[in-house]
Amino acid sequence: MPDIKQIVLERDLNPYHSFFASFFGGLGELGMLNQGSINIVSKRAADYLYAYLDAKEILPDMNAVPGDTSAEVIKNLILYVNKILSLVGEYDLKEAEQDQVVLLISGDTCRICPKGVGGASVKGTLCPIPSLLEGLINKLAQKEMVKLITSGIEKEGSTCKAYYQVLN
Amino acid sequence: MAQTLSDQLDIILNTFERNVPHVQATAIVSTDGLVIASRLPDKVEEDRIGAMGAAILSISSRSGDELNRGDMERVLIEGKSGFLLLHSIGADAILVSLAEKDVRLGMLFYECKKCINQLSEIL
Repeated sequence: MPDIKQIVLERDLNPYHSFFASFFGGLGELGMLNQGSINIVSKRAADYLYAYLDAKEILPDMNAVPGDTSAEVIKNLILYVNKILSLVGEYDLKEAEQDQVVLLISGDTCRICPKGVGGASVKGTLCPIPSLLEGLINKLAQKEMVKLITSGIEKEGSTCKAYYQVLN
Repeated sequence: MAQTLSDQLDIILNTFERNVPHVQATAIVSTDGLVIASRLPDKVEEDRIGAMGAAILSISSRSGDELNRGDMERVLIEGKSGFLLLHSIGADAILVSLAEKDVRLGMLFYECKKCINQLSEIL
């Protein structure tokens, strides 16, 4: 088991972070969950989260979301989602080549990582964030605004990267 | 012009399907559950096949370990309308085959092995 105290304090976890990360991590260790299935169920979760935000009447007014470009609007939608779900501590969204944006997450600030927080000892990744954000951004924008290009998350040192195509 | 990896995989899967009557579809997925190559019918959602195929194989392998069944050879699921067959291709990939009920299982297993040997060389 990883040093839970350090992770809880450094990443500022709430009990739900700890529960979901360890729950998904456990399913991953049993072989029941892989990045492919995470991608599928994260999009399903996005539909439910959208319905939750709607029920609570806290959906953003898309006409009021600041941003001159699609990339800026996407960045602000991610900011909104992260404020509500508190997924990660440090992250950035940068424009990449040919209508692409790249989400850069500082891995050691992620609060829901089934490996880093949930302690899953598995090969590969189990990251729900890229497809969850894809699903939520498209639901919030009420159109196909982004398409995840990478098949999940790409690790580069301590940075986790996900590339999206900006559709419109 | 040199063949891409994708072309090579497609040729191997196509040959496999031609060699075994009643094989309906094939796919190669990563152990992460992501599709690498596929020859699946249009109506099949390949993302789901990839995710579920990898999960089934992984759970089966772990179950086999727990119950001291040794290294897993294959997973065969028999339904009323046919078979789903899963084989590991080394440590990182999986061959998924769908076959009709009339398939000769001996022929299917034999050709699967040949196919996996070929795939192991290029993956």
